[in-house]
Amino acid sequence: MNREDRRVVSREYFSDERLAEHHFRSFNNFLNRGMQDVVDEKETIETDIGDKEGQEPVYVELGDVRMVTPRVREADGSEELLYPQEARLRNITYSAPVFMEMSIVRGGEEEPETVVDSTETKVGRMPIMVGSEKCNMAGFSDEELIDIGEDPVDPGGYFIVNGSERVLMTSEDLAPNKILAEYDTKYGDEIQVAKTFSQRRGYRALVLCERNREGLLEVSFPSVSGSIDFVTLVRALGLESDEEIVHRVSDDPEIVKYMLENLEEASVQTEEEAIEELGKRVASGQGKNYQLKRANYVIDRYLLPHLHEEGVEEEDVRINKAYYLCRMAEACFELALGRRESDDKDHYANKRLKVSGDLMKDLFRTALNKLARDVKYQLERANMRNRELTVNTVVRSDVLTERLEHPIATGNWVGGRSGVSQLVDRTDYMGVLSHLRRLRSPLSRSQPHFEARDLHATQWGRICPSETPEGPNCGLVKNFAQAMELSQDVEDEQGLKRELASMGVEGIPGIEGVDRTTADD
Amino acid sequence: MSQTQSTQVSESGCPECGGRVRADGTETVCTDCGLVVGEHRIDHGPEWRSFSEDDTNPERTGAPRTRARHDRGLSTEIGRPTRTTARKRRRFARLRTHHNRAQIGSKRDRNRVYAFTEIRRLCDVLGVPEAIRDQACVLFESAQDADLLRGRSIEGFAAASVYAAARAANVSRTVPEVCSAAKASTDEHHAAFDAMNRELGLPIGAVHPAEYLARFASRLDCASDVESRARELAETAVEAGLVGGKNPSGVAAACLYTAGREHDAELTQQAAADVADVTPVTVRNTYVDLRDRLETAIE
Repeated sequence: MNREDRRVVSREYFSDERLAEHHFRSFNNFLNRGMQDVVDEKETIETDIGDKEGQEPVYVELGDVRMVTPRVREADGSEELLYPQEARLRNITYSAPVFMEMSIVRGGEEEPETVVDSTETKVGRMPIMVGSEKCNMAGFSDEELIDIGEDPVDPGGYFIVNGSERVLMTSEDLAPNKILAEYDTKYGDEIQVAKTFSQRRGYRALVLCERNREGLLEVSFPSVSGSIDFVTLVRALGLESDEEIVHRVSDDPEIVKYMLENLEEASVQTEEEAIEELGKRVASGQGKNYQLKRANYVIDRYLLPHLHEEGVEEEDVRINKAYYLCRMAEACFELALGRRESDDKDHYANKRLKVSGDLMKDLFRTALNKLARDVKYQLERANMRNRELTVNTVVRSDVLTERLEHPIATGNWVGGRSGVSQLVDRTDYMGVLSHLRRLRSPLSRSQPHFEARDLHATQWGRICPSETPEGPNCGLVKNFAQAMELSQDVEDEQGLKRELASMGVEGIPGIEGVDRTTADD
Repeated sequence: MSQTQSTQVSESGCPECGGRVRADGTETVCTDCGLVVGEHRIDHGPEWRSFSEDDTNPERTGAPRTRARHDRGLSTEIGRPTRTTARKRRRFARLRTHHNRAQIGSKRDRNRVYAFTEIRRLCDVLGVPEAIRDQACVLFESAQDADLLRGRSIEGFAAASVYAAARAANVSRTVPEVCSAAKASTDEHHAAFDAMNRELGLPIGAVHPAEYLARFASRLDCASDVESRARELAETAVEAGLVGGKNPSGVAAACLYTAGREHDAELTQQAAADVADVTPVTVRNTYVDLRDRLETAIE
């Protein structure tokens, strides 16, 4: 490419739309499907009505969410479109009403299910990113922007809450759902650990598979205190025979040797025994039936939740979990044998960025849960007082609004993170640009973390090598490179899998026409 | 008691003459001799934000006090600890249950909590400002203290409090507006409102039709010139005594309709009547009266 062409490309990267593009894309994506996804996950709000004799159960069905553009409601009740400048000057929030379809359904026990009331109701207000699709200025020309008091070269990409401009800091997290093998020390010995942050729908569970000093594999995951034998767990998941377990881990003779040691030590031989064993661990001292129930619940709920998927049989999910654990075991052994090196946590392939849309999705999820809890309470209350159950009277929209606005205003995000939203740095124009393109590592800045602060070769072209603060934050706060491109997650995961299957990938769960057992050969 | 008071005076009084001091902006000034006691007001209370690194919990104890909560927002909530053992979590859950039960002492308190929740919800739906919401809560409290609730419904009083507070602040909502958003029926609302009006002596006069105009205009998508003309017409109507005996919201709708006709806006009597929850007949009658009045004024 000659110099002139390069200049054109370079200029394009510096154009208005590109500077905060990652924020817009992420937030628009949240508005267009993220919100609906969260509502679809929730699906219904169950109530305790109907627990008593002679009462029909009641639940609420959640439907489509719809949003309009930001508007302000005056004291006299009139409603008008709100523009960012007015929000800044009047110290109000640049937010848009959110509507949701809800229907209250009664019955199902003795009487057939009937819809008591069904309407689209306002559930709250969502702060809107300046310059996003739902912003009132979307598609305005420079002259129009000047007319409404807006700076045409302002990049946007921030929120206005109570009149102050807040930008959501992009955070750099370790990639979830990936096996990371590394060395660790326990009681002075070096051991090998394979880690996975399994994440699904805002629930995050760390699964550890470690090879202790006797060479035995142990797995630990949330809700199980301590750790559990690898072989026991795999058997509980339905991978029973010695041969199959070994085969699933590896064909390498040395690893097979290690695996056989593990199998020799195994305390259980069948799936039933294994689940019993697990039950004793997760609910010790309880009745046997409860132990079994609890063991199954723990497996389905807390162990590797990311392997769950719509439309995949529970049994298949379990066996997939077993295969996944075998992969983790293999990683441990390979590390022990020196067949591979430990994974580099600072490698950019092992990093994922949480941009404003992802953060808003986390927020919306907890806000919706809070709203659901409130609706449940209101419904039970209304039912107890023999009131007619109507959607409009049981939804308190301030619940959701408050839960959405407060974290953005204070920076105290869900999950105990603080400083997520920051006041936009208006020192000068460059300050704004730099602030919008800043990203932060969640690592504590009071600890050294030398490796994390170092410039990594994989940051080439993605992260600016020179722009980082001096002092405690050095290397933990970074800035995007000029030509950085941020890829997004796949919208249609099923479609991707089908595509992969058509290209010859075998054994993808939930894809028809692929015989899963052939994956062994 | 007297001791503490005297120390308070000597602490906060003027060091020169001992007079009362008053905070004026950031300055503290003696009201008697005019001495500026302090120029910078320092908030010695706990800090809102946390400045130290890795300190996730700010020192500040909570939101400001509000009349919109039964305990003025001073309640303590037991949070959900995330990084503790399961046993400790269960203990906290039990503590939370007990704490929640202990928070409400009497039936009276329980009713108040329920009513305030309803008032907050109503104010949010109706878009009533916070000051009026707090006023409505205070109104409910006085109704409860005057023992008006006996035999009437709490929901009715909640609706009536909001209605009365909005009306007293000159940002009236119509009864159908309040009742369609409220859990209470219209009858319950009326029973409660009548009782309150009679016993508490609410500072409420006749509603000026102009109070409704802004809301109706925005719902009918009227241009601002139509709205301002309607405002003039409402003024004329009140002065001419056309409002007497008529529903003010109907008059407001008629004013908008008349103004709309003058400005050739597309506005039907039906549409105007719908936003005001009146019949088209009401709108028409007022419109005719208004027109006659205007014609005589021109002559």
